[in-house]
Amino acid sequence: MKRYVTDDIIYALATAWAQSALAVIRVSGEGCRKLLSTRFSRPKALLEAPNATLVHGYLCDEGGKAIDEVVAAVYTEGHGYTKEESVEFTCHGSLAVIKELLALFNRLGMRSAEGGEFTFRAFLHGRLDLTQAEAVQELVSSQSQRSRSLALGRLEGSLRSLISDMKEQLLGIVASVEVQLDYAEDELDEFVFPRSKLVDLIKQIKDLSDTYQIGRLYRSGARIVLAGSTNAGKSSLFNLLLKQERSIVSPVRGTTRDYIEADLDIHGIPVRLYDTAGLRESNDAIESEGIRRTERLIGQADLVVYLVDSTELGHVPEEDERTLVVYNKSDLVKPPKGRMAISAQTGEGVGALLTEIAKRLAKGSVSTGDEQVVIESERQHALLENAAQALQRSLVLVDQDIPLDITAVELGEALQNLGELTGEVTPADILQKIFSGFCVGK
Amino acid sequence: MDYDAIVVGGGHAGIEASLALSRIGFSTLLITQNLDTIGKLSCNPAIGGLSKGNLVREVDALGGEMAHLIDHSMIQYRILNRRRGPAVQAPRAQADKFTYARLAKETLEAQHNLALFMDTVVDILIDDHNRLVGVVTERRHTITCKVMVLTTGTFMEGRIFIGEYDASNGRLDEPAAIGLGSALRKKGFPVGRLKTGTPARVRRSSLDFDQMEIQDGEETMMPFSFDYDSIQRPALPCYITWTNENTHQIIRQNIHRSPLYGGKIVGKGPRYCPSIEDKVVRFPDRERHQIFVEPEGVGTEEMYLNGISSSLPEEVQHAFIHSIAGLEHAQIMRPAYAVEYDFIDPQALFPSLESKLVENLFIAGQTNGTSGYEEAACQGLMAGINASQKLKGEKPLVLSRNEAYTGVLIDDLVTMGTQEPYRMFTSRAEYRLNLRHDSCDQRLTAKGFSVGLQKQEALDRLKDKLAKMDAVKDLLRARRLEEKSALQALRMPEVTIADFLERMPELKAYEEPILYQVELDVKYEGYINRQERQISRFEKLESLLIDENLDYDAIEGLSAEGKEKLKKVRPLSVGQATRINGVRNSDIAVLIVHLDRGGRHGR
Repeated sequence: MKRYVTDDIIYALATAWAQSALAVIRVSGEGCRKLLSTRFSRPKALLEAPNATLVHGYLCDEGGKAIDEVVAAVYTEGHGYTKEESVEFTCHGSLAVIKELLALFNRLGMRSAEGGEFTFRAFLHGRLDLTQAEAVQELVSSQSQRSRSLALGRLEGSLRSLISDMKEQLLGIVASVEVQLDYAEDELDEFVFPRSKLVDLIKQIKDLSDTYQIGRLYRSGARIVLAGSTNAGKSSLFNLLLKQERSIVSPVRGTTRDYIEADLDIHGIPVRLYDTAGLRESNDAIESEGIRRTERLIGQADLVVYLVDSTELGHVPEEDERTLVVYNKSDLVKPPKGRMAISAQTGEGVGALLTEIAKRLAKGSVSTGDEQVVIESERQHALLENAAQALQRSLVLVDQDIPLDITAVELGEALQNLGELTGEVTPADILQKIFSGFCVGK
Repeated sequence: MDYDAIVVGGGHAGIEASLALSRIGFSTLLITQNLDTIGKLSCNPAIGGLSKGNLVREVDALGGEMAHLIDHSMIQYRILNRRRGPAVQAPRAQADKFTYARLAKETLEAQHNLALFMDTVVDILIDDHNRLVGVVTERRHTITCKVMVLTTGTFMEGRIFIGEYDASNGRLDEPAAIGLGSALRKKGFPVGRLKTGTPARVRRSSLDFDQMEIQDGEETMMPFSFDYDSIQRPALPCYITWTNENTHQIIRQNIHRSPLYGGKIVGKGPRYCPSIEDKVVRFPDRERHQIFVEPEGVGTEEMYLNGISSSLPEEVQHAFIHSIAGLEHAQIMRPAYAVEYDFIDPQALFPSLESKLVENLFIAGQTNGTSGYEEAACQGLMAGINASQKLKGEKPLVLSRNEAYTGVLIDDLVTMGTQEPYRMFTSRAEYRLNLRHDSCDQRLTAKGFSVGLQKQEALDRLKDKLAKMDAVKDLLRARRLEEKSALQALRMPEVTIADFLERMPELKAYEEPILYQVELDVKYEGYINRQERQISRFEKLESLLIDENLDYDAIEGLSAEGKEKLKKVRPLSVGQATRINGVRNSDIAVLIVHLDRGGRHGR
């Protein structure tokens, strides 16, 4: 584990390292205002600004020359993102300006923050719980619009409230078992294990756990390989999708000797698209190498879009989960009925193709709405899987009529895993549930 | 110095504390308000029950007395929760309360090194270094000592309530101990109020048992103690009846006359042992509540109405008791009443049960906010042992949460405090598969021996038991039954060791408890191994020690609430810190980072 310290001042560019209209540089740590005021055109205003206020001014170099006109958002200790004394400068988004300001901060003796360090400080100061901290981290590194809205949803706690709800259901089941173990049989009513509740809960946890694949898809993106016989129109489609002339498109077979890749966004999913060498036997050494690499790429792809030339058909592979067969040149020859067809020349059918690709990548299980809760971190996935497995084992024990004290161990394990996602469950919580739900005690 | 040790109080905590100190070899004085009420069973005439039975056997394994007292006074024996699994099974016995108390006093009187004295302690004496040096009594005696164990039960500023009536009593018609509570408050002890209650006692010959269900005990009584294999005692049945809608109606109509609902009682009562008023108010949909009618002894007609404790006025008690089947003509010999008393917030104690405020002062039992004879006894024993360790200048004996319910209980008290009278529950223990009552001796007897309390014979018996268990396991391992060994067959849920007795007569040479325990060991092995992984996670945090004098103000990044709680509890390990209410995960992270940077001190 990376060890952070929290007793120095850190800074970092909070927006993307790219040319833009405006950029934000964040500084956090005790004493940062005092230090910054030495390079600020209105030191007193900066020092005395109350929490959550804006101060306009100029950041200047050691010689007093203004580097940029900025707006400083001031947070006093106990507030702001990290809950430390901090300042967020909104400056102009030219790379030259950003570079100069970061260099200035460095010369002031502040430290360039490690990845995630602001979030770590926020977590240490109790600003965020673990699921929120993870969501912030994903927000920062998310690649696309859709991914961003998923991350925002998490921050508002939709994941947390979903898991809390599951935890509450499990707590109910645990309490109904624990009360049997805490009181003698003659003090209680006849006990029937709430089996259907448990079965239902296992399904809910599994469903949430399964969204991990989708979450990862939106976060890490997918690899799509365009494959097909030479001259099937792969490069034309590639260019059409990128809407720019990047591949060398020529009617001579075998021009794309290696592969070309590009990033694009298909229905919110970050996609890396590969245009490959056509698949055919070749004596050309360079081209053979290209074909070999193509095969390797196909092996690693999340989806292979296999383009078939409708004018010459030839080899048509079997459709499967990972292979989408698309008939190109629909403008020239009518493709077989009921098959996915496009014209990379006219753009006909490309919209439908994109929708189909998104559906395939999400394995049909993702809704198009942005409100769906998905999990994206490996830690959350592992904890949910552990919980589901423990519950599955407890179900087996119940069905085998194994004594409740053992079943309770598995239920406890599941509760502990869910608890780790949002906060611990203590024995006191279980007793609370028992006393509020059951009339017990002689 | 008059005595090495003084124990204040002759209840179940005081008995264990004074016996432990004197048996280990220290001259000890037990001061009680009334020599005739030593070892009194103030509430229900029973010892044991779920997790409580385990506490009794833990006390016994360490060298305490409670198991001997109940073994020789029981009038019914039952194993509870037979069908719910061995980890949560426990013995429970009805006691002849007169025999129990008589045996307790006889045992104290027979003890070398132990003096008994009747008086009331009204203040404690403290030297300039904040160390306890003695006590002052009501009759103006000043008695000095090196260590003290305080076990005041419900008597410290106790007050009982029956409807509009209230009196300065610790038990009905027994005067409360007045003065000590105020004296401790003045010295800065965090003293609060708690409440508990007890039901009416009715006359046996006035009851109609034909209208009740009979409840017999087991055919064979098994001892709580590990010191012998069998006991022979006369057995009496208990009876079961139920309240009805009429009963509830009477209670609802008079609820305003309850001192609890009328606001006279400020102390919080136990949620797990509600009065009948509480049950009727909180569970209005229930048509009836169960009542166990239990004999208070062989030589008495008094019967205990388990399940309907109350603080309603006596005429209301008459009315609702007479509405119950079998109790229509019950003669009430003692009324039900509530009692409110002073307790000292146990967060002001170290896990050794020594006070953080005054050195050499140990506190145990109901004074720490618990309820129950067994809870009191195990604390009294640990306080006695640790007071002895202190006198010897040795490290305290602190039991872990994964080796004894006693460890769970004390850790809960000193770490989290309590808002209501604290009772032991199996669900308070994270690793209860390891806390079976039949294996307490394996976990604790050697510890009792190492502090000088347990006898060599107990160690020898344990060694003998383990050898026999190994022999039985070897027999089972060697014996083939169809495809498998008998040992493997025993792992199947439906197979018991009794099934083998026919085919393996050689097993009959071993006592029933040996065979039973082998069976449990075999059946639970796989699950215990699973639990071991959780335990190793737990132990990792327990082994990160924190100095009791750690300066939390000097640690950057702790939340304000976390810092305040840590300063109050002063946990001795990170594991203990994680269990403090109000300490956040982020506080623990900061704490671990701080300790890693060199702030850690081994003890």
